[in-house]
Amino acid sequence: MAQIIAYGIITGAFYGLAAIGLSLVFGVMRHLNIAHGSLLMVGGFTAYWAFNLLHLDPFLSIPLVMAILFLLGAALYKGLFSHLDKLPEGQKIDNSMLVGFGLIWIMDNLATMLWTSDVRAITPSYTGKVWHVFPGVRLPLVGLAIVALAVLVIFSLHFLLTRTYFGKAVRATAQDREAANLMGINVERTYLMFFALSAALAGIAGVVSAVNYSVYPTVGFEWLLKAIIVLVLAGVGRIGRVFGAGLLLGLAEGISVYFVGPAYREVVGLVMFILVLLRRST
Amino acid sequence: MERTSMLELRQVDVHRRDVRILWSVSLRVEDGKIVALLGPNAAGKTTLLMTISGLIKPSKGTVFFEGNQIDRQPVHRIVELGVSMVPEGRRLFPEMSVFENLELGAFTPKARARKEQTAEEVFKVFPVLKERSAQMAGTLSGGEQQMLAIARALMSRPKLLLIDELSWGLSPKIIKDISETIVRINKTTGLTIVMVEQNVALSLEMADYAYILENGRIVGMGEAARLRESEQVKNAYLGLGDA
Amino acid sequence: MEYGGKGFVVSGIVVAVLIVFPLTLGTEHTLNLFVMLFITIILAHGWNMLGGYGGQISLGNAAFFGVGLLSFHFLAWNAGLPVYIALPASGVSGVVLASFIGIPALRLKGIYFAIGTLALAEALRITYGNLFPATLYIPTVQITTYTLLSRYYMGLATAVFIQGAAYCIIKSKIGLAMKAIRDDDEAADTLGVNLFKYKFLALVFNSFCCGLAGGIYAYYQTSIYLTVPFSPQWTFEPLVAAAVGGAGTLLGPVIGSVFLIILTETFALYLGKGYLIIFGALFIFVVLFFPGGLVGTWPRVGMFLGFRRRATKD
Repeated sequence: MAQIIAYGIITGAFYGLAAIGLSLVFGVMRHLNIAHGSLLMVGGFTAYWAFNLLHLDPFLSIPLVMAILFLLGAALYKGLFSHLDKLPEGQKIDNSMLVGFGLIWIMDNLATMLWTSDVRAITPSYTGKVWHVFPGVRLPLVGLAIVALAVLVIFSLHFLLTRTYFGKAVRATAQDREAANLMGINVERTYLMFFALSAALAGIAGVVSAVNYSVYPTVGFEWLLKAIIVLVLAGVGRIGRVFGAGLLLGLAEGISVYFVGPAYREVVGLVMFILVLLRRST
Repeated sequence: MERTSMLELRQVDVHRRDVRILWSVSLRVEDGKIVALLGPNAAGKTTLLMTISGLIKPSKGTVFFEGNQIDRQPVHRIVELGVSMVPEGRRLFPEMSVFENLELGAFTPKARARKEQTAEEVFKVFPVLKERSAQMAGTLSGGEQQMLAIARALMSRPKLLLIDELSWGLSPKIIKDISETIVRINKTTGLTIVMVEQNVALSLEMADYAYILENGRIVGMGEAARLRESEQVKNAYLGLGDA
Repeated sequence: MEYGGKGFVVSGIVVAVLIVFPLTLGTEHTLNLFVMLFITIILAHGWNMLGGYGGQISLGNAAFFGVGLLSFHFLAWNAGLPVYIALPASGVSGVVLASFIGIPALRLKGIYFAIGTLALAEALRITYGNLFPATLYIPTVQITTYTLLSRYYMGLATAVFIQGAAYCIIKSKIGLAMKAIRDDDEAADTLGVNLFKYKFLALVFNSFCCGLAGGIYAYYQTSIYLTVPFSPQWTFEPLVAAAVGGAGTLLGPVIGSVFLIILTETFALYLGKGYLIIFGALFIFVVLFFPGGLVGTWPRVGMFLGFRRRATKD
């Protein structure tokens, strides 16, 4: 059982990483970028090629992946999502969802054309190495790295949002956009940077996916669903909640697999999701 | 030698969704003066202030600040040039502390460099803010919020301060305190102020000069002292004179 | 575009051509194409009524499609009911599913409705794949008597029926109410329009269409792999078709579907899946800059070219 919990935590850390970028942008800017999953996929492939062509360890390639995704995210925002900024909130959310969806088509199919739909994975030398903590509990090293990564991201984001001027500008803009403008904050540029940041975060999750699971052009859609479930479970707001919800989902899936079997693993998350929505609607 | 005013509007038209709010508004504000905008509700006073700050763009006409045309500039650029606004309803950042709100007021690079010094000055003027420095802005009383809003606007070390509805929701004593503080700031630092204020008597006490706005048009202007005596103003707004 | 007398004549001619054409010019390839076109049109109309007119974006239409498909398969092939009963029944099965989830679902704010329906479709897809890990086959007796022509005409008849139904609904009081809700739902609410009722009606039409389409597909395909009934493609391709054609218009779904099929055919030769990229880009373009889609922008083009005085119909 302890083993299951351990795996659940690792999975949960990954789900948190996958969802954090999506959640932040939705919370601050009211854009629901469902192409977040495709950005994750690009991050995964970048790490894959970095590993195979440059022999770069996946975890070390994270800065590279972040940089590339940051630029990509900035371009996507400037070219597409920024046009939605002026719309009232309801329309903005709906339309950003539609734009994201069109992007999925473009990006996923482009990836298929470029890289074929073969499933890839990164297997560095330490794959499969395990740390026997106590009898019955084996912690894969990769899994530990993932959890450490998640913790690092949480603290970094917290620091960014509370201690830096950029982070305060983001929070201010989320609370009152016009007032933020009156402070001399360039709201457009703040949004651009923040969106690009969320793309970089998706990239991190993509690297994890490539190392711990696999990457293929449509992997983004799979993780997107997880990310959306986490988003809804967490509600909008704190970073901690997103990762907490991710943990919850990871653990719930792990425990259900133990009792019901692996076939219905996905359904657990979806059912939880639907239940939360139902509670929301009443 | 012609002296350019600190702020000048030339025949400014403003439309909101195809409805014209301001009609060919022209006015000047001289360096170091306090200028009041008077007029009935919905006359367009707030719109005018928002146009100066850049939140609204005029459909016709020009706005000059220190001789530079600013009506096409984005808001944050205008703030960098030295215009700061205390908006209607204060618009503080409720989930941030007093101190963080002040920090955000000093967002522009120039202001940020002198952040500590400005904060000291501001705390001297509004000591209660120093006491409540770590408190969430949303939990302050009405008067304290107004003080914070003004202090925050001052953090950018502006040359021109725009104040919209200073007295809104405040008790007479607090209004008196704050208005006296503002006049004192103006006299000691020479900060130019344009204010919109429902309370006409208060405005005319504080201001050097005033413009009267009705239905989006300037219908009167003059020295505050003279306007206090004018029949037009007395009848329309002060409820005095023979009616 | 106004649907006056001229519109009826044109539609009539088009339908007549479609009826006659397979008897003379139809190759097997084209007939197959048309059947898929009819299915897409029906799905697009379904989505359009809820998403375009009703303002609730559904991302889970695959759920109703799959349910309709399975119902038809069971009723017609297993239970032996005649096709002309099984088909409407498949539509009804979609409605039944919608009734279960619709009432709580419609109370959700737009985006939660969208992802909720998506979750539903995905849940069904996975559950179905787990419970029935087998390919569905048409019974052999049907294969020997299989005529593509009958599938074609069934598709055509259903598509025409749905187009007509959509027309009647939109032109009726219901359509008026929905337009009012779409333009300003708060105002409509204060005027006494029952928001929930009309959204539910739109959902019913949506699910009916998707169920029907599923039924036609079950009639048409000889073998159905387990990932197919609830595959996301049944939600997303009609959505994009309707949006590009013109969401919230009567002709949008048709024009968009035709456009999609033409693009598919053209690109299948050169780029394979490349057409999806083009369509995705077009879709984004439409969402950002031309919310009226092809149908909505055409009047403006017409005005630009000089043969139309006003840009929008009121």
